[in-house]
Amino acid sequence: MSREAYQVPSMGAQQNTFGTETGGFGGAMAVDTPSVVYLCGECSARVPLKRGDQIRCKDCGHRVLYKERTKRMVQFEAR
Amino acid sequence: MAPLVPSHEELQRRRIIGINAETVTNIPSTDFPGHWPGESHGWATDQFKKDFQVEFHSNDQFEASFSLIGLDAAVANAFRRILMAEIPTLAIEYVYVHNNTSVIQDEVLAQRLGLVPLKGSVEGINWMHWFRKPSEDDEGAEANTPSDFNTVVLRLEVECTVNPDAAADEQDPRKRYNNAHVYAKDIVFVPVGRQEQYFVDEGAIQSTNPDILIAKLRPGQKIEMELHCVKGIGADHAKFSPVATATYRLLPDIQIERPIIGEDAKKFANCFPKGVIGLESVTSEEAARRGSGYEGHAGEQKAVVKDPFKDTVSRECLRHEEFQGKVKLGRVRDHFIFNVESTGQFDSDVLFLESVKVLKLKCAQWKRGLTDLMA
Amino acid sequence: MPGSIHDQEQEQDQSMMDTEQESTPPGNPILLEEKHIVVLPGSTETAASFQFAGEGHTMGNALRFAIMKNPSVDFCGYTIPHPSDAKMHLRIQTSDSTTALEALEKGMNDLMDLCDVVTEKFTDARDQFNAESGDRMLS
Repeated sequence: MSREAYQVPSMGAQQNTFGTETGGFGGAMAVDTPSVVYLCGECSARVPLKRGDQIRCKDCGHRVLYKERTKRMVQFEAR
Repeated sequence: MAPLVPSHEELQRRRIIGINAETVTNIPSTDFPGHWPGESHGWATDQFKKDFQVEFHSNDQFEASFSLIGLDAAVANAFRRILMAEIPTLAIEYVYVHNNTSVIQDEVLAQRLGLVPLKGSVEGINWMHWFRKPSEDDEGAEANTPSDFNTVVLRLEVECTVNPDAAADEQDPRKRYNNAHVYAKDIVFVPVGRQEQYFVDEGAIQSTNPDILIAKLRPGQKIEMELHCVKGIGADHAKFSPVATATYRLLPDIQIERPIIGEDAKKFANCFPKGVIGLESVTSEEAARRGSGYEGHAGEQKAVVKDPFKDTVSRECLRHEEFQGKVKLGRVRDHFIFNVESTGQFDSDVLFLESVKVLKLKCAQWKRGLTDLMA
Repeated sequence: MPGSIHDQEQEQDQSMMDTEQESTPPGNPILLEEKHIVVLPGSTETAASFQFAGEGHTMGNALRFAIMKNPSVDFCGYTIPHPSDAKMHLRIQTSDSTTALEALEKGMNDLMDLCDVVTEKFTDARDQFNAESGDRMLS
């Protein structure tokens, strides 16, 4: 059994947040999955990605993407 | 019986700390009651007032040099220590990072910003309170909330962009991009509440050195942060210290005990920094005086002490055979040459006066604590 | 110079945040903390050891100097028993004509007098120097 398919026995099937079997690389996914913005390592363009999307910059085709910095405020002591 | 009064020569002898090639002599102060039989040496304010002298050498905003003469090392050192560690100034203490996509890490940037020296109206600094920090080990002590009288808010908001007007082959990043370098002058003061009355125009909180480089950016990178400054003292963190340095040295003393003449005199002068030793011609009177050591040397050059202030007491002259027994090096025990360098919040001379004030205040406070013991 | 750095009188407080919390009086580890002197055990009237919390060489050595200047004091010395404890011990032994506590108080008074003289002489010397260098620049 693959890791993705594992379910906690007590949980109902409808609570399976992982969805069904992945429909192949780059295949169309569930429409309501939120997209996450990444930054291209080459041209620093903003690349919104959904699950299952090809990991590739839409502008330059670069395949290294970075996560954005947290939007949360961080506190430091200037010492 | 009236106390014995030592001769002027004797007092002068006691003032000099001897410096030999490998050793120092006559080190501790001896002007205490009971040390010299029959002499007084008790504390007398009016006597101190007569003996104590101040001489100024230079007095600029960022650097002052002056001599305190007739003081004990314990007191001079107290002033120096207070200058460095116990006069309060403002410094960035809390950094709230909203965004920082520069290559310099948040905590490193925060630490750098803390060390940037700030200045603002002295009246405003005096008006401000301490900011009591929330502490873990003392739950009972109430922490302050940031308010206009204990926290100054600064903001640093810079974004680097490509400069469209730059030449295509421009190599200097400062011209090729906008805001490639972030400087201390980019920090802006955001007055809150009554700070608008205290820190106006020239008195606004700002960096004393506007050209301090804080970070370097490339297009697309951004720094966005809020900086909270609080009042603190150097004992807590060096960033609060109002001085770059506060030092003293003892006035050097050079005694030529036997004549140094001719080529030796030139060599002797070269053992010291420029201006310490001068060369003079031996007068015919000196040459005529029997036992002076100058007999038959009229017209030759002799070494004389011109300005011991400039000496560094390198002891170079003690290494040469020809000067053995001819010169005595020393320092004057109670002549302190202070050098105070302000970071800019206060003038250097004002800082020293503040240090005296702090020492007096500390005495007064401890004296108040004494009343509990008296009861 | 307008006022001292250390006088902090405050009537109304205006909070920077939207909280109504009353602010506590200013506090600082060294300058404004409540001063607390303890007489160490084994002390007598004329020979006592005092413990000063939060104090170091700055006050310790200056106070030792001022107390040693008192002819009725036989011995005075200070120590910081452990460098990581912010505590200073001051030992005073006096003759029968006074007490250790009186000698301590006199030492503090003398040190305060000294500070006044230093301030006065320093201000005079500075003003004179500034006036002279001002003249030099004009001529």
